[in-house]
Amino acid sequence: MKARLAILMCVASIAAPGLAVAHHSFAAEFDENQPVKLTGTVTKVEWTNPHIWFFIDVKSQDGTVANWGFEMGGPGQLLRAGWKRDTMKIGDVVTVEARRARDGTTHANAQNVVLNSTGQRLFAASSQGQ
Amino acid sequence: MRTCQITACRAAMLALVLLCATAGSAVAQWLSVPVPGTPRAADGKPNLNAPTPRVADGKPDLSGIWRADTMRYNDNLLPPGTQAPMLPWAAELYKYRVDTRGFDRPMTFCMPHGVPDAMTVAGLPFKILQIPGETVVLFEEFHKYRQIHTDGRQLPVDPDPAWYGYSIGRWEGETFVVDTAGFKEGSWLDNSGHPHTEALHTTERFHRINFGRMDLEVNIEDPKAYTRPWKSDTLHFLLQPDTELLEHLCENNRDLQHLQDYWQRQQQAVPPATGKQ
Repeated sequence: MKARLAILMCVASIAAPGLAVAHHSFAAEFDENQPVKLTGTVTKVEWTNPHIWFFIDVKSQDGTVANWGFEMGGPGQLLRAGWKRDTMKIGDVVTVEARRARDGTTHANAQNVVLNSTGQRLFAASSQGQ
Repeated sequence: MRTCQITACRAAMLALVLLCATAGSAVAQWLSVPVPGTPRAADGKPNLNAPTPRVADGKPDLSGIWRADTMRYNDNLLPPGTQAPMLPWAAELYKYRVDTRGFDRPMTFCMPHGVPDAMTVAGLPFKILQIPGETVVLFEEFHKYRQIHTDGRQLPVDPDPAWYGYSIGRWEGETFVVDTAGFKEGSWLDNSGHPHTEALHTTERFHRINFGRMDLEVNIEDPKAYTRPWKSDTLHFLLQPDTELLEHLCENNRDLQHLQDYWQRQQQAVPPATGKQ
C-alpha cells in the first residue's frame, strides 16, 4: 500500500504543470471575449509543431454539421501536460472550451479538452494571455 | 562491511525511486530522466534549495534546463509600470505593434525570439551548457542555440550582423556577465514589440542563487532606438530537474495565413512609413 502511494506521489511529482506557449500572438488571431464550448466528433488530429490542430464535426440543432478547427500548444507542451499523441483519436467525441478566431471562421484556440467517453479533462496549452 | 551495506541499501532505494520516476511510457522516460549530479533529499527528490553548484575552478556552474517563472517578461521586458525611453520612430513602431496585437512578430514567420527574450518563453525551456572556454545556450524554441565565448576573445569589430549577435562572457565574482553586439535588425526585444537596430548592445548579468533558481538582469543600449540605456525587470528562472528538452519546429504553420488574411483586411495593418530605418 505504502509502495503504491509512493509511486502515485512519485508520478504526481513528475507531472509538470502545463505551460502556455505560442509561436505567434494569441491576441492577434483569437478573441478572448468570444468563448465557445462545442461538442463534436474528431475528424482529424495534426500532432505537429509549432501547434497541434484538431478538427471536429459539430452538429447544430437544425441538423447541419460544421467542421471546427482548434489550435493547441505544440507536442512538447502537451506531452508535459500529460497528453500522448494517441490521447485523442479520430472518432472520439470531445467537448472543447475555446476562444474563437477574430476572422469569424470556425477556428478557435482550445483552452481545454474533455474526452466525453471518460470525462478526462486535459489542458490544451493555450497561448491566451500572450 | 556495514558502511558498504548501508551504501548498497541507499543505492538500491535511490534506484527504486528513479525507477518509479522513469516508469511508464517511452515518452514519460524522456520527460523524466534522472540527471546525474542533481542534489537529492533522502526520498530521492531533487533538492532545489541546495547550494549553487560549481565548476572545477570554483566559479558557479549555470548548467541545467531552465524556464522563466512567468510569461510576463516575454510580454514586456520592462518592470511593470515603466516605459522604455524610445526615440520617436521607435515609439511609433512600438505603438503600431501594440495596436496590431503583435500579429507580425517574428515567430509568426517561424523566426525565433532573440536576445534576451528567447530565454523568457516560459513554455519552451532552454538548456545552459557551461564548458571551458564557452557557455552554450540551447533553446527548445525552434531548436536554436547561442554561443557565449569565455576564452578571452573580444567582441568582433564590424561583424556580419546576426540574429543573436556575438557574445562574450566573463565572471565578476558570482555574476556571469555577457556582452552581446553585432545584432541584425528583425528580432523584437519582447512580444510587445520593443524594437532595436544594429547598434544594439546588451549586457546580461546572470546570478545562480541556488541549485533551483537563477536571476538575470539585462541592460539595453541602442542609441539609434533609445535616448539612453535602460534595464529589464529582474528575470527569474526555475531549474527544471530530471527532464530533457523536446523538439519544437515550425512544420505546420497554419497561423501565418490566418493572421495575414485577417490583418490585411484591417486598415491598421499598414506599417508606419518611418517604422524601419
